[in-house]
Amino acid sequence: MTKPDKPFEHVGIVHAPNEEMAWLFSKEQYTRRGMVCHALAVIKTENIKVSSVTENNVDVYDTLTGEYSGKEQDSFELFHLLKRGKQHKHMGGVMASNYEDALLAATTQIDRPKTVYNVWVAKSEDIFSSDEEDTDIWDTLKEKKYRDAIDYKAADKIKAFKAEQS
Amino acid sequence: MNVEALKDLLYKMADDQLVLGHRNSEWTGFGPLLEEDIAFSSMAQDKVGQSWQIYKILNELGESDPDTVAFMRNADQFHNSQFVELPNGEYDFSLIRHFLFDTAELLRFQFLSESSFEPLAQLAKKIKGETKYHSMHANIWVKQLGSATEESISRLQGSLNEALPYALGLFEESKFEDDLIADGIFKGEAVLKEAWIGEITKIINQSALTLPDLQQIEPVLGGRNGEHTEYLQPMLDEMSEVFKVDPTADW
Repeated sequence: MTKPDKPFEHVGIVHAPNEEMAWLFSKEQYTRRGMVCHALAVIKTENIKVSSVTENNVDVYDTLTGEYSGKEQDSFELFHLLKRGKQHKHMGGVMASNYEDALLAATTQIDRPKTVYNVWVAKSEDIFSSDEEDTDIWDTLKEKKYRDAIDYKAADKIKAFKAEQS
Repeated sequence: MNVEALKDLLYKMADDQLVLGHRNSEWTGFGPLLEEDIAFSSMAQDKVGQSWQIYKILNELGESDPDTVAFMRNADQFHNSQFVELPNGEYDFSLIRHFLFDTAELLRFQFLSESSFEPLAQLAKKIKGETKYHSMHANIWVKQLGSATEESISRLQGSLNEALPYALGLFEESKFEDDLIADGIFKGEAVLKEAWIGEITKIINQSALTLPDLQQIEPVLGGRNGEHTEYLQPMLDEMSEVFKVDPTADW
């Protein structure tokens, strides 16, 4: 999550023995200094259920059959792909009896101003996230001039080299 | 406010961070896995940055400029604990040192965020995020490797036993302890040590490691008064090599 008012967005994959370690590796790999980050969440890939993929402006929700059970057994989170080649974004959560049921619930419960081409469904409890109060770990000291490489003065050498080549 | 007492506190903190920052930087390119290589390098930069901030405060109190203070003193003029100057050793030792030191560091700056000396209180608030993450990073790794395999557990336990006498040296009291407490600058090493024991116990109890009886351990003292191991001077020589050749050099 880049800002408190922006939705969570998928950034990538790490390999780790468990969620906590995956979180740590993601922190190092995807939220390097200078990048804006507000929160970080991880989930085991096997705990994400993936819908079918549509194209040509067909909304994947319009291809679903069946009806929402109305059973509010578990909490699920839904991630929408709004453009091919972009990342999935967290668009909201629903209560449902299983993954398929969560998709059906989302059909009416989650706003879709744009066409959705693919959906990831995850149980809320399977997601490991940084705490709200730990947002400050991305708020690091700005004055770190000593670590900036000072420009390497090679222009003259490069010019001489080019002159020699031509 | 007792300025001598304040300077003494600032020097030992800054020197701890600079020396450990340099040690952490020695992991660059050698980390046991890529993420750890990045993490140690990044924490090294944080620590050097924090030390620079404290040297700047010292500069305002009349000491030399940060570069001179960092590069031109000999080992016997450094006030860091011996703990931070020890060679990195294997990763298990570096991790345990990171855990023991950064737990103390986080607590120290939490206390200092309420310091009566305003520049220090402000700095403590500014680096809250960095110190918190360093400690989280260490805790997660110690819990992981401290309960992973027979080898990882026994190696971490061995390093823990080896590191503890030095770690206890972090809390070596200065002759100004009472002044610092009376002036409301710092709660004192004894209070810090108690809080530290509580925190490290909490994490160690979430692993298969055992915390030895700290009462039975003789702390390694002297660092705060300029008494150091044979490892500090060579490290300082290396760190200050360029500066000593050309103090105006940029690189």
